[in-house]
Amino acid sequence: MIEIQNIKKTYNGILVVDVPRLEIKKGESIGLVGNNGAGKTTLFRIMLDLIRPDQGEVISNGEVVAGHENWKNYTASYLDEGFLIDYLTPEEYFYFIGGLHQQTKAHVDDFLASLTDFFNGEILKKGKYIRNLSKGNQSKVGIASCLMQQPQLLMLDEPFANIDPSTQIRLKNLLKSINKVQGVTTLISSHDLNHITDVCDRILLMEKGKIIKDIATSSSTLGELEDYFAVG
Amino acid sequence: MTKTFLQHELKSFWRARNTGKNVAVKIIMGVLILYLLLCALGVGFFLDKILAHVFSGQDVVIAFCGIILIYYIFDLILRMQLQELPTLKVQPYLQLPIKRNSLARYLAATSLISAFNLVPFILFVPFIIKVIAVHFNGAVACSFIISIFGITIFNNYLALYIKRKANLNGWIFLIATGILVLICLGDFLWHIYSIRSISYVFFGHLIHYPVLALLPILIAMGMFYINFFYLKANLYLEELSSKKTLYKSSTEYPFLNKFGIAGDLVANEIKLILRNKRPNSAIKMSLLFLLYGLIFYKKPGMMHSDYPAIFVGMFMTGIFIINYGQFMFSWQASHFDGLLANKLNVAEFIKGKYLLFTLVSTLAFILTIPYAYFGWRILLIHFVMYLWNLGVNTTIILYFANRNSKRIDLSKGAAFNWEGVGATQWLISLPLLITPFVIYIPFSLLNFPNLGLAVLGATGLGAILIRGILIKKLEADFYAHKYTISEGFRNK
Repeated sequence: MIEIQNIKKTYNGILVVDVPRLEIKKGESIGLVGNNGAGKTTLFRIMLDLIRPDQGEVISNGEVVAGHENWKNYTASYLDEGFLIDYLTPEEYFYFIGGLHQQTKAHVDDFLASLTDFFNGEILKKGKYIRNLSKGNQSKVGIASCLMQQPQLLMLDEPFANIDPSTQIRLKNLLKSINKVQGVTTLISSHDLNHITDVCDRILLMEKGKIIKDIATSSSTLGELEDYFAVG
Repeated sequence: MTKTFLQHELKSFWRARNTGKNVAVKIIMGVLILYLLLCALGVGFFLDKILAHVFSGQDVVIAFCGIILIYYIFDLILRMQLQELPTLKVQPYLQLPIKRNSLARYLAATSLISAFNLVPFILFVPFIIKVIAVHFNGAVACSFIISIFGITIFNNYLALYIKRKANLNGWIFLIATGILVLICLGDFLWHIYSIRSISYVFFGHLIHYPVLALLPILIAMGMFYINFFYLKANLYLEELSSKKTLYKSSTEYPFLNKFGIAGDLVANEIKLILRNKRPNSAIKMSLLFLLYGLIFYKKPGMMHSDYPAIFVGMFMTGIFIINYGQFMFSWQASHFDGLLANKLNVAEFIKGKYLLFTLVSTLAFILTIPYAYFGWRILLIHFVMYLWNLGVNTTIILYFANRNSKRIDLSKGAAFNWEGVGATQWLISLPLLITPFVIYIPFSLLNFPNLGLAVLGATGLGAILIRGILIKKLEADFYAHKYTISEGFRNK
């Protein structure tokens, strides 16, 4: 589904992303871990054509991402609040995103009704603009809008951050189900090793811009990661 | 502390994005200000001669006392348009052990650094020394200088106070400007009273009782403290100061539905304008400019040249394009990544911008139709300039939008966010204002004014007709710049 070839990106002489080769197959669920500054978000942004890499290409379904727009039809992503139009109400935002995908209002309403548990009564019909929601609730709006697009590829940057424990667990189940049941390829980064090993079948560990480990999740993976991150 | 603040501000200036552009703008501003100060100096030195000439048969001292207040009224109007508010992003300092007083004092004190505060002295002091000191005595001259000092300070803080209030509520700006304009009209047009005699009441008495100079000092101090306490009381994050929030309902604009995605984008942008203070005040400014014609057009059918109508017509039908468009796409900086990553193609995005400009300009044109009272030719010229705005100015604005990567944070509220309305912004819009004249003037000089108008209109119409091609070009141009734009916008 996605192929990364020879991607390099430097900022002020420091190599922040250096991925010679990475292939993501259709239906995989991938977790990206690494300390701050490892290059996770930059890699995401390059994959979404938000940052121009110094060299290399990202190929999605056989087409180069940079300069093309076909990939947008099946890729949904939420990296940070910068993806939300914060002066809209959540409903308006959902209708807008739905409209981009030719979904009618009724369709959007139907879909949102299925997320009642996930929203926990804090998002819809609250009479607030997105900017007045808490960070966690903003994150829920972003994630929900991604799910609504019924993508083939879903990219989320630290989706578990800022949200309450119950929602984290609901989100884990949601992510597992869209990957296993609907076959959506998922790419998620997180600092929560428990969650990420629970949700993802394949873990990529980044350090200083490089992918230094690429492991299929097994019962020993969590321990392995904890050993890596434990500071001696 | 003041020194630290100054250092931080210098750093934020030099380390900002677009530093080169900022510096260039400052240099041009500096040259302009210097030129204006030199002019003022010239006028100041010959003020006695000028007054004797203009008010022949009247004592120059009486004439002088009369014009001071008139000067200050115009000073206030100009200040409200052009004087820039001192900017210091106070948020990072609020939780630190820094006294609120020193923050407020810093903001109040730095606002005095402005050419506006120098001009009255350059203008009036030479006359005071040459005439008043000679006619009367040193004490009277001193009392005049002190009075001028007092009124200047008063004006300075009054203008800033109004501007600060206006930042929170755009109507205040309209009301204040309206009052000032009415005051002027009351004298010069309706002759209800004479500002000059009111001015003379004070300054005439000042000659006999120099102690009266304390009065301007008192009102200056009063205004300073009003401003100071207002600043101090508002040194809160906006969320803290406005506790009550109304229920925000979702809205729709059904008539935009038939424009597809571009229509959805326009709907969002209309919400952007209505729901955020800064763009909101930009649009209220545009409303104010709809009255611009009243200043230029005098009597029906008394038009000797087309120039005022070309200027006014472009301004009235295009002020939104200029005023709001010059910050394009910065208004959307905070969600630009989202726009790029979503299923939204750039051509639709640009189409949406054109649609927004077209809708607002059309509305402005319709609202200015009553100016036909001053002659049908004015309406015709307005229509020509409306075409020009839709065809040419929109495209120029969008071309420059692709080169603007300075973030505007809408969510940061307007209370302490003053970039935006000041002289520098007007300077940037200068090329837009000049171009139609560059085309029209040669025809007019050769005595073919109608042909000149036809060329302007045809250029505008032509550009509207080839909009499809222009959108393609702008799209390609956008792709060439999109990484720079989005990186700039990500940079808080």
